[in-house]
Amino acid sequence: MAEDPNVAIRPEFPTGRVKKIMKLDKDINKVNSEALLLVSCSTELFLRFLAEKSAEVTKEKNRRIVKLEHMSIAVQRHRPTGNFLLDSLPLPSQPSDRPAPDHNTSRPVAEKPVPAGTRRIDEFFNKTASKSPIQIENDE
Amino acid sequence: MEEQAIVLLEMVDTFGASASNDDNCLKEQERLLPIANVGRIMKQILPANAKISKESKETMQECVSEFISFVTCEASEKCRKERRKTVNGDDVCWALETLGFDDYAGPLRRYLHRYREVEVDRANQDKIRSIEREE
Repeated sequence: MAEDPNVAIRPEFPTGRVKKIMKLDKDINKVNSEALLLVSCSTELFLRFLAEKSAEVTKEKNRRIVKLEHMSIAVQRHRPTGNFLLDSLPLPSQPSDRPAPDHNTSRPVAEKPVPAGTRRIDEFFNKTASKSPIQIENDE
Repeated sequence: MEEQAIVLLEMVDTFGASASNDDNCLKEQERLLPIANVGRIMKQILPANAKISKESKETMQECVSEFISFVTCEASEKCRKERRKTVNGDDVCWALETLGFDDYAGPLRRYLHRYREVEVDRANQDKIRSIEREE
């Protein structure tokens, strides 16, 4: 994290797309340019943070490829992140035949019906789990 | 079913897409940040010899969109309670602090402060220039 206030934090994400994602929530009225900028910046910070933490787990396991389960562990370790991602990511300690977490667990965002045509994040993981490759790293 | 159809039509209006089978695919991309940007930032963070599985990059896209929704929702809720219609920078900072991302809030507040100063300067410059032009 740059402590120096002179270091410019310019968002790397297309702001138009960030705005669209923000507005997926029908309850969102108007968003000013400052808010858009800060959401873009903080999202990038979050991405960097999660990537860093995931890579730490990968390194702990003496692997070179950052995998889903490494991300899961990283998410579990950081409470604020876990608060909104935990029920979406497969917990690495669970055997694959255990039923998936309750998709209807209410979260602030989940209370609102998702727009038609969007995939919920947990569906993404179910799809992945159903065609998961043979586990070659059995030392976990 | 009807309700879903109504929501779909609303989204068609919003995104200007035609109602077709490609709709689901289009909507999918609209709610995620580009994988190229996501991948590039991840690469910057990771050690040189590390690789990222495709699955991880895609998951990161999802996580990041969830983060955006999560923060925005919280900021918007604050506005609603205070009967304001527009979410501003302070609301976002507040939301980040509330949600446990306070280590972002500090630097972002400073950045916001500077951003506002720059905007004020720019507005003043424009004003001065237009006055000079009139003289």
